[in-house]
Amino acid sequence: MTIETTVVGSYPKPPEEGRPFTVRKTLHAIEKGHATPEDLAKAQDDLVTEVIREQEAAGIDLVTDGHARWDDILTPFARRFRGFEIGGLLRWFDNNVYYRKPICTAPLEWGGPATVEAFTFAQSVATNPVKAVIPGPVTFARLSIDEHYADHQSFVLAIARVLAQEAFELEAAGATVIQIDEPALLDAPEDLQLAQDAIYLITSELKSAESILATYFGDAKRLGPELFDIRVDGFGFDLISGPENIQLIRELPAEKKLQAGIVDARNTKLEDVEALSRQIEELCSTVGDDRLRVSPSAGLEFLPRDKARAKVERLAAAAQKVGA
Amino acid sequence: MSAEKRFEDVVDLDGPGLWTTSVGSFPKPDYITRARSQFARNEISREELFALERKATREWIEFQDSIGTDLLVDGEQYRGDMVAYFAEELPGLDMGGLVRSYGNRYYRKPIATGPIGRDKPITVEWWQYAQSLTDKPVKGMLTGPYTIMDWSFNEHYATRRDFTLDLAKVIRDEALDLEKAGARYIQIDEPAASTRMDELDLVIEAMQIVTEPLSAHTITHICYGDFHKAYPKMLDIPVDQIDLEFANSEYSLLDEFSDAPFTKAIGLGVTDVHSHEIESVDEIADGIRRSLKHIPPDRMFVDPDCGLKTRTVDEAKEQLTNIKKAVDVVRAEL
Repeated sequence: MTIETTVVGSYPKPPEEGRPFTVRKTLHAIEKGHATPEDLAKAQDDLVTEVIREQEAAGIDLVTDGHARWDDILTPFARRFRGFEIGGLLRWFDNNVYYRKPICTAPLEWGGPATVEAFTFAQSVATNPVKAVIPGPVTFARLSIDEHYADHQSFVLAIARVLAQEAFELEAAGATVIQIDEPALLDAPEDLQLAQDAIYLITSELKSAESILATYFGDAKRLGPELFDIRVDGFGFDLISGPENIQLIRELPAEKKLQAGIVDARNTKLEDVEALSRQIEELCSTVGDDRLRVSPSAGLEFLPRDKARAKVERLAAAAQKVGA
Repeated sequence: MSAEKRFEDVVDLDGPGLWTTSVGSFPKPDYITRARSQFARNEISREELFALERKATREWIEFQDSIGTDLLVDGEQYRGDMVAYFAEELPGLDMGGLVRSYGNRYYRKPIATGPIGRDKPITVEWWQYAQSLTDKPVKGMLTGPYTIMDWSFNEHYATRRDFTLDLAKVIRDEALDLEKAGARYIQIDEPAASTRMDELDLVIEAMQIVTEPLSAHTITHICYGDFHKAYPKMLDIPVDQIDLEFANSEYSLLDEFSDAPFTKAIGLGVTDVHSHEIESVDEIADGIRRSLKHIPPDRMFVDPDCGLKTRTVDEAKEQLTNIKKAVDVVRAEL
């Protein structure tokens, strides 16, 4: 048997100590008028290539582009979709990390792909499949300001419609797994019914791509097993910030996949491979090895590069040990 | 505020109130930015960098005096990140690698690898230097224990509380040293305090350890959070003044004050520090007038929303100048 490994999304942009940090330098140079957007695109291409190779070398089966071109998970979409403006900085959940708040001032329209070109590039430099990641409509809406729609429900559904178009294009570009991030849903049980409708707008556009609803930074106990009524192929849980998620995982319907976040993406302390292996074995006995994918608890950008790499190496080593 | 410590006895600034101040950091002039990177590459000595940092500090003190600021800051020309500056000096905290905070901004996030202690005062010498340059009071500036904990990795402590309370003792000792050196205004920044509502009690418990033995006017600065959830509970943080950002949220917190009056002195942030557009004197004066409906002038300090280190030197000076002009306009109406 094989236990598949993946990452949740982001990967640290800084290089390991002592190596040039080209993306950062190029952005500084652009500010001073000493570099062009093309220089930045080149530096970002190199970074994407580097982080994909690093994940693959560590033993990650399903990689991402590390969100290497993104400032946060919303801005790249909010910039491209018509109807959004970009507002001020706000804290990204309970992290010392910030995002720019999108402000919806007009009817939302798709306006062309936001992430397809970047996905195509990532796939072209990867050996393993690349997972595409999009923000979920509830999270997107809750982290934005709506100055246009009459109510929250209309806003969420409007966002879902443009995200559905994006997901459709990502699949057309070759994405076989599309992850929809809904961390804000954990604190919004009142939005669960709405999330079902909104996310189905997205997943009903997909022909064969696997859809994963990812949650992180907490547990989903306030949502309860009704969460599984959301029509996706699998669910992602953070078992570090939400150890109680294990209860919910026991109720995962038989046809759904599990992406289990078992390595702490927000603390540098390295996990013990033995302990990880035991945890993976337990998860295997709960859901079966064929529907299990193990991952860090959240995007890895909260960690310095060397720690992130060490963490995915240990995750992969533990998965391999169980699979052997 | 402890029963025996009366606001009027501690705050001895001139005028009817609406005192102007700053949250902490000022932008570094180009010669400091250059010198810091030269120092990092071993191209200049510690002493050469230090001399330039003193020069920049002197220039900022002179600027604040020139516009008539009431309560000064040293501008933190010698500090990088507000947590790393302390972490570098504290045994038990190691400097980790770079992590991103937003956009193209990165910082070195410390790692707790052993019990936290303190070998010697960290901020006292700089405070003494800054205070020697002016007759107006200069604030002592510390980063709060909860924020240092929340913005560090933890490989040592069993719980976040254990980690925070050890830091609280260290910051208390630093505050006591500042007070011994003559500081009468001590700010203990807790920008992370508004992050997790379920940990506001820990913020309060830790701050109690820090401020309990102090007779100085104590201030905390909190930013980037869900104030509406943290209020009015944040009033339980045992400090004399809470400094908050108002410009960035279009003064929306004032609505809360109608239901639950603000019971402390306030640091009223009236300019958005993340925008290149600078509020006009009229806009700032209007914000102060609206705030005066909730808080009396002799409990009000007026400043930018947050530290100004991400602005250019000119932008920072313009913000501070406009604030001072707006305060003068409103003071004349009192």
